[in-house]
Amino acid sequence: MLGKLLKYEIKSTARVFLPIYGLIIALALLNKFFIANNTYVYSNSTNKAMQIAATVSMMTYVAFIVALFVVTLVVLIRRFYRNLLGDEGYLSFTLPVSIHSHIDSKLIVTFMWEALSLIVAGFSIFIMTINGNTMQSFSKFCMGISEVYEKYGPLAHQLTAEAIIFVILSMLACILQIYASIVIGNLSGKHKMLASFGVFIGFGIVQQIILSNVYGGRFGKNIMDGESFAYFMRTELISMIIFSLVFAAVFYFITDWMLRKKLNIE
Amino acid sequence: MDNIMECRNLVKYYPGCLALNSVSLAVPKGQIVGLLGPNGSGKTTLIKLMNGLLTPTSGEILINGMKPGVETKRIVSYLPERTYLNDWMDVKTMTDFFGDFYKDFRKDKAYEMLQRLGINPKDRLKTMSKGTKEKVQLILVMSREAELYVLDEPIGGVDPATRDYILNTIISNYSENATVIISTHLISDVEKILDGVIFINKGSIVLTSTVDDIRENEGKSVDALFREVFKC
Amino acid sequence: MAWELKSDRPIYAQLVERIELMVVSGLYPPGCKLPSVRDLAAEAAVNPNTMQRAMSQLERSGLIFSQRTSGRFVTEDKEKIEEIKKSYAKEISDEYLRRMYKLGFTSAQITAFLDRTIEESEQNG
Repeated sequence: MLGKLLKYEIKSTARVFLPIYGLIIALALLNKFFIANNTYVYSNSTNKAMQIAATVSMMTYVAFIVALFVVTLVVLIRRFYRNLLGDEGYLSFTLPVSIHSHIDSKLIVTFMWEALSLIVAGFSIFIMTINGNTMQSFSKFCMGISEVYEKYGPLAHQLTAEAIIFVILSMLACILQIYASIVIGNLSGKHKMLASFGVFIGFGIVQQIILSNVYGGRFGKNIMDGESFAYFMRTELISMIIFSLVFAAVFYFITDWMLRKKLNIE
Repeated sequence: MDNIMECRNLVKYYPGCLALNSVSLAVPKGQIVGLLGPNGSGKTTLIKLMNGLLTPTSGEILINGMKPGVETKRIVSYLPERTYLNDWMDVKTMTDFFGDFYKDFRKDKAYEMLQRLGINPKDRLKTMSKGTKEKVQLILVMSREAELYVLDEPIGGVDPATRDYILNTIISNYSENATVIISTHLISDVEKILDGVIFINKGSIVLTSTVDDIRENEGKSVDALFREVFKC
Repeated sequence: MAWELKSDRPIYAQLVERIELMVVSGLYPPGCKLPSVRDLAAEAAVNPNTMQRAMSQLERSGLIFSQRTSGRFVTEDKEKIEEIKKSYAKEISDEYLRRMYKLGFTSAQITAFLDRTIEESEQNG
């Protein structure tokens, strides 16, 4: 059943994201065209109209990148709220599907779009900046990285893996924090959105307090060179991963429990 | 298990309001039962509890002997008083959706009814009138071969001709093992198709009887009795 | 077309009456197969269980009989049908007389009035 939920979850959100992705890539190609033709370099030889077009195109591109991340957040909230706690909830919660599957499907698809949005944004920058010079420095950068890997082997691999896991987990924890805030905020009769926002801030403060008590002052203890910092980070990242995992699990549990026991669709 | 729905001392308490006050009730299989009561009497609360959209404060509700959950949702076909259709879908996608999630959904049946009521499967739900949306929803719900149909105000928003068609659909869909619970205030319209009635008021069951017993003993229709019992 | 039913009498009793009338009037002749309960219920726009109850009552009274596999049939017993027909005729006549007496007619006047009405209707029809 999770598969079927995912299918409709993707269907209902793809029609928002795919056009934006398409536009961003198209605008990046357009910008690339202007850059390649040196339109941005002010000189008498360049066409005034072309310059204006190039500026507009670049500004639109930036606006769309900003919009992409706003939209990702809005869709995350709206989809969860409408599909589970709004009128659509009457259908969602009478499907022969467990509450876990509902949360999982929304979590997975939201994470997918967040990751895809990052990839698309990165790719669009890559499109615009690519030329002989940047290629050269890019390959230099890659070589530098492979040197580091050769020198520090397991340490570098481990650090990379830990960093990736940490990023993924904190993204998931953040999504779940929003879900938990929405279901708790939904208990309040009026101003549900405002209440949810307050709960979200509250969760943030609690997290900060816990983390600052644990990590307080630990980072600035002594000045380290790169290598010992890497060793230090290797262990620190593991504890950070554990914290993200705990936060994610707590928020998941809250969301699940609230939907199971306190569900009350208007 | 002869009762499709059973509740024992069922209590639902909302902050500041007792919606159901120790309701004990049993609905046998194979009947069409009317759940009748004035606005705010607890009809919808009881129906939401049957569908697991609410959890009881105390007491117990059983659907086919099970607490509401994934298993009971498989066998219950529920029509809420709200329209729950996603507005980005067209009717065809919606039938695919039902077909994907409910094993007992019969697509051919749904298409036959859509055609009968003149609804184009390509139509988007966004552009539909409220009445048409209600029809689509009812078609989806009645196209399942469920063991229990729970219909909350199924004929409230539609014209009399469609009303007749809907009631007819309910009768002809009837199978010996299926049970239909209809909540409505349009009693005179549904009276003829009911086996039994449950009168509910202020969170308590006032009366349970069969339609013909009421007519025989009281010499009046259920509609007339309802007006008498719930006289303002 | 849904059957017209009164709201103050049990539905099953009214269904029994309707089917009896259909048999007596020859709509369903002796030995004729009746539609299924489900179809009859749909035609009458009533609950199938109520129609079932009406059928059981008719079976008990002997007007219809069921064969386990092939369905329900009108009795072949013409006398039985005739008997029911007469009881309906009696009921209608009683009612007619009761109302005529109430209007103040005497038996002789009623007979004369009936004769004239029959004559007129034969001329017209």
